[in-house]
Amino acid sequence: MNRVSRHPMRRILMAGILLVAFVGVFVVRLVDIQVVRASELNEAAQQVRSETRTVYGARGEILDANGTVLADSVMRYDIALSPKQAMSGPLIREEPDPSDPSKTLVVEVPREQLLAELGAVIGRAPADLQKLIDDSLAADPDSDFAYAAKLVDTAAYEQVKELGIPWVVPYEHPGRRYPNGAVAGNLIGFTGDDGDAFAGLELSEDACLAAEDGEMSYLHSLKDWVAIPGSEIVHSEARDGGDLQLTIDADLQWDVQRIAAAQVQATGAQWATVTVMEAKTGRLLAVADVPTVDPNDPVAIDADDRGSRSFTAPFEPGSTLKALTAASVIDAGKADPSSQVVADYRYLPPNGADVNDSFFHGPTRYTLTGVIVDSSNTGMSMFGERLTDRERYEDLLDFGLGNVTEVGFPSEASGDLHGDPDDWDNQTKYATMFGQGLTTTALQVASAYQAIANGGVRMPVTLVDGCRAPDGTMTEEASTEGRRVISEQAADQTSQMLERVYLDGWLAEKWEIPGYRVAAKTGTAQVPDGQGGYQSGYLVSVSGFAPADDPEFVVSVSIMDPVKMNSSAASAPVFQQVMSQVLKKYRTVPSGAAAPELPATW
Amino acid sequence: MSALPAQTRPLRSRAEPDRPGRRAGTAAPAEPRLRPAPERALGRARPRLVYAIIAVGSIGVIALAQLLLSIAMTQGAYELDGYRVREAQLARDEAKLAEDLDGLESPQYLAMNAEALGMVPNSAPVYLRLSDGAVLGQPTAAAGGTAASAPLVPNSLIDGVPPVTEQEAAQTPSGGQGAARGDQPAAAPVVTPPAPAEGLPTPATH
Repeated sequence: MNRVSRHPMRRILMAGILLVAFVGVFVVRLVDIQVVRASELNEAAQQVRSETRTVYGARGEILDANGTVLADSVMRYDIALSPKQAMSGPLIREEPDPSDPSKTLVVEVPREQLLAELGAVIGRAPADLQKLIDDSLAADPDSDFAYAAKLVDTAAYEQVKELGIPWVVPYEHPGRRYPNGAVAGNLIGFTGDDGDAFAGLELSEDACLAAEDGEMSYLHSLKDWVAIPGSEIVHSEARDGGDLQLTIDADLQWDVQRIAAAQVQATGAQWATVTVMEAKTGRLLAVADVPTVDPNDPVAIDADDRGSRSFTAPFEPGSTLKALTAASVIDAGKADPSSQVVADYRYLPPNGADVNDSFFHGPTRYTLTGVIVDSSNTGMSMFGERLTDRERYEDLLDFGLGNVTEVGFPSEASGDLHGDPDDWDNQTKYATMFGQGLTTTALQVASAYQAIANGGVRMPVTLVDGCRAPDGTMTEEASTEGRRVISEQAADQTSQMLERVYLDGWLAEKWEIPGYRVAAKTGTAQVPDGQGGYQSGYLVSVSGFAPADDPEFVVSVSIMDPVKMNSSAASAPVFQQVMSQVLKKYRTVPSGAAAPELPATW
Repeated sequence: MSALPAQTRPLRSRAEPDRPGRRAGTAAPAEPRLRPAPERALGRARPRLVYAIIAVGSIGVIALAQLLLSIAMTQGAYELDGYRVREAQLARDEAKLAEDLDGLESPQYLAMNAEALGMVPNSAPVYLRLSDGAVLGQPTAAAGGTAASAPLVPNSLIDGVPPVTEQEAAQTPSGGQGAARGDQPAAAPVVTPPAPAEGLPTPATH
């Protein structure tokens, strides 16, 4: 009994020490797991249980003025296979027993059959796929990834999934679709396989249209791969691209493309452009190029034709520029529609230039109206030299020539006014009066006629109304500020002279649009061949606006080298059909009074 | 001589002589003795057990509730997964149909159908002014023989889609009646609902 009472503390101490030792072991282990190795263990666990997924942002749509979708984002799929796994052995599959449909047989399916099945779905020969596998393994014996097909559509993707081949893995890949095909294809451009824009508005407005992909990860159960609710972590938010609102009307664009393409076929021309612009606002309603790319299938036509010649191909405009020279002369007060000259077939001005008309005539007593109606170069020179070169040059700049338009199209040409007017040689001084010796694009000619049609105020050429962000706010809205180029009186008088051209010119029957007053001017120009000379074919053009009493629409047609009808008569039917369609479509009220009579000769 | 009151208790040694003989037969002395506090009787042990049972029981209940909620959430997760798979499938179906529809809505398809049915475009408008019935413009027949527009403005989305005139009768919603109007289709008799006995049913409003 004494021993008990003498050593109780020692036993208690011993038990306490043992307890602390045990607890200490656990504490050390705990600290080791939770503190020292925490991050690497977390990593490993996340790797096993979590799945990272890209959340795709949708590229913005391109819409026409009425909301018709011209370019759309869709989900496409890339089909990839693992060459290493493909060669590892045949596939065990359960297939319905042919003799007893309710039972299934376990069947070994050889690789050749699997490749044949896959090839049938994605449209490649099995031998091709085998070659792909062999090439990948030759380059890297451990190769685990090779693309069998890119950007297949949803139906093919579902069929591939149904095949159930474990070493074939489809991946999502956002793509682009153009529901209306070649309508406005020259303007919209197209994108490549990886979503990079290559041409047109897809390229120049990429900042508006492009989307950002986001990333999110979530935990899933090990066996079933079911997402554990509440475990989603968004690493970065996806952002959709903004929608691009164009001023183009898709139906009108289709019709204009159809009319222009039919005429190009009928005349055997190389190319053609037709521009329809609102006279009061400068908005482009249709810009047609022939040939036009179908953005769904850009490789179907030549690389040269995949852009928009309306913006990128400058040409010498020819006689259509006589209207601008006349307007400048009237604006400066140096003439009016009944001013008189005597013009011969040939004019030799004192500085040594040599100006000829396109048709032979003796000395004719032309008024300014008559000079425009008969398109006399010599008469125009006599009126044009009443202004200095600098004055004419400044007016051409004001009309928008020599600079790119406000649209900002990729590779847009600025045209060339042959340098500074002080450097113009003697022939060029006169050639620029009737549209030779300088180059413009089709858009610039249309914009200059828009200034004349709008009472002398040039509005900025507008193709894009704005960019609509996903939350509805419009950004990058087009400017609506105009600039006065010539006085209203000069514009009116020029317009009346152009009406006489339309009524009295040699094409009066070809381009008659009953019920409307129309003002128009033809032009037949030579095209530089890029080496200092001229090509053999002509570029025939018509530019005009209607109704002339209160102009609403400007139409400009240019056809390059219509070999079967090498004169402005080739473009007149296009002008007539397009202008009729435009006036009909927008329900323009027919003109009331007739055009004022102006004398052509005196 | 004042006697101070006793400040301390008298010493034990005086009160309790420590001799075995004295201890055995000690009667209750006059001075108080310290002795350990009496132990609680067994009857009072029950309330402590009740508290223990309640505490352990509620822990058990909480754990059970957590378990049941977790089971329910997992069940929901599987349901959710099933719905997500279905949603993805339906989204794909919608994408396929939308792509087909886009091609059919394009102006090229409309023009192809119109030309297959023999229509031609007419660009000479004639206006009817409703205020006085005046006809503005010259009505002229459209010039036929315009070229087919399909090769002029292509659309690869409708490559291979036949125009309405070539589609089988079963595919069009009216069963091909548009193409063959001559013979009256003796289809199944159309069942009209019986006319309401007392006029159209109207909601009772107050």
